Amino acid sequence: MVKKVFFIVLMFFVSRNLFAAESKPLVDSLITSGGHTSQLPHPIIVLPFLVLLLLIATGPIFYKHFWERNYHKLSILLGLVTVSYYFGFLNDFKSVEHSITEYISFIALLTSLFIASGSILIKVNFKAAPVSNVLFLLFGAVISNLIGTTGASMLLIRPFIKMNRERMKPYLIIFFIFIISNIGGALTPIGDPPLFLGFLRGVPFFWVIENVFPIWLIGILCALLFFFLFDISNKKTADTVTEKGKHLVELKGSKNLIYFVVIIIAVFIDPKVMSWVPSLSPLPFGIREILMFSVAIASFKTADLEILKANEFDFEPIKEVAYLFVGIFLTMIPALQLIAFESRVYSHYLTQATFYWSTGALSSVLDNAPTYLNFLSAAMGKFGLDINLAADVKHFVVVDDVYLRAISVGAVFFGAMTYIGNGPNFMVKSISERAGIEMPSFFTYIVKYSLPILLPIFALIWFLFFRG
Amino acid sequence: MTVYTLDEVIKNKINGLYYGNRILLPFKAQLLKVIIESDIITDFSRSSKGIQLVEHQEYLDLYFLEYKGLSESISKYEAIKIVLVDEGKNIFDWNNHRKIALYLAEKHKVTIEETDADILFIE
Repeated sequence: MVKKVFFIVLMFFVSRNLFAAESKPLVDSLITSGGHTSQLPHPIIVLPFLVLLLLIATGPIFYKHFWERNYHKLSILLGLVTVSYYFGFLNDFKSVEHSITEYISFIALLTSLFIASGSILIKVNFKAAPVSNVLFLLFGAVISNLIGTTGASMLLIRPFIKMNRERMKPYLIIFFIFIISNIGGALTPIGDPPLFLGFLRGVPFFWVIENVFPIWLIGILCALLFFFLFDISNKKTADTVTEKGKHLVELKGSKNLIYFVVIIIAVFIDPKVMSWVPSLSPLPFGIREILMFSVAIASFKTADLEILKANEFDFEPIKEVAYLFVGIFLTMIPALQLIAFESRVYSHYLTQATFYWSTGALSSVLDNAPTYLNFLSAAMGKFGLDINLAADVKHFVVVDDVYLRAISVGAVFFGAMTYIGNGPNFMVKSISERAGIEMPSFFTYIVKYSLPILLPIFALIWFLFFRG
Repeated sequence: MTVYTLDEVIKNKINGLYYGNRILLPFKAQLLKVIIESDIITDFSRSSKGIQLVEHQEYLDLYFLEYKGLSESISKYEAIKIVLVDEGKNIFDWNNHRKIALYLAEKHKVTIEETDADILFIE
């Protein structure tokens, strides 16, 4: 394997002249992204990203076991191709370093929430029915703004499966992904990573809830209405016997909730939020990430074995996310830079509707956090403002808030469009499959659920709020 | 060698065994569904690519063909889940469908438990 990687990297350097010649028309183009200026990559280097997306989409369907044995190698290999290009051709270390830093933050949050939630067992003692399911999903949507979509997904997916076990069908899990893992978390910077990045750049904490709430409400209500229509036609009734004298909800391992609190507090332990927090630069992580990984270890070490067993705790789902997203984060660097460049070039033509749809479309398949930042940067560029200046961001928030609303909603909501649109989607899918639920393939998810259900909702939101 | 029923195995806490990708279950049964990691196996025919079933007079052999070693993939908290019907019982009677969880333990032992309500397991 090492030999193969070495060979591919070597071939890349040998053909350097060829690539340089091809990239000549663009070498003069510079782009400012993530606070530094770098040379614009050649469009061909987006290929590893497209290949990775194609593999993620087709692997589990057409060559499942090859994919399961090799996805980590393929993901890293494709990531290395991009890294080699940036190091070898562009002499750009900053872009890669920036992406690695964001990846570590991303995986630290996901890992700590995944492990902390694995040590908590929620037992529900009520029958699943359309109304109780709707209330459960609504509760999850609200709670995802307090503990993040990842935390809420990890904590609630097991009880949701358990209460529906007698009437389980894939749509139940799909709507869980739509509502709790994505749309729900659009109200606070804790809810979803792109909003947190906005907060770090200077968007006030309560701006989101003050400005996005009506859109969130319509999005959630529409998704719940669709869910109710699906669920009411599910003729299988829950014959789960509720035990008299028992609480409706029973929580085991509640001491681990303290770990959740620590993780949420840790989110804010960042030099950009609190000036007293030391920066560990040039290391690609900070105190926040150290705290999160420490919580993950402490939570696992002190976990009740019976709870781990009941939750069938396994590192595989988080391992899968960690490996796939390391490839995604690295290979998407050129895609994001090219998008940012093009959107700035054509920013005069970009309306709130284009920002809504393009942020959304790209957030469906790219990580929504950097997509949000690049489109925010483009939108601010339209008005001659700089995303790297907090004062400019604050001005933009007040004067041209409709663009920020469009970008925020697009980034968070559209993450539900595919399994790879948001980190928790994949983990929910994995946990469900381990419970014996046959989940739809990548394409079936899009064709059967995302397009017919989510697209009309998103179109309605566009019509009501971002038509201009 | 004694032939056990599933009830006897669970009641007397009789363990199975595992070696590499092979699991030996100390009873005989008809399998309906096996869940190992995120693989849901329902094809138990000879051409099945996921599992090979070998029935002996006193026990059952399961070969997980897509796995080299089970202990490398399955954590000690994770279960291999099986829906089965005791040999001789009516497979079409839903009440005879039983759900068991297998846990890999030390010294190649496989502990066999009937799943409780805590385990996520959809038939």
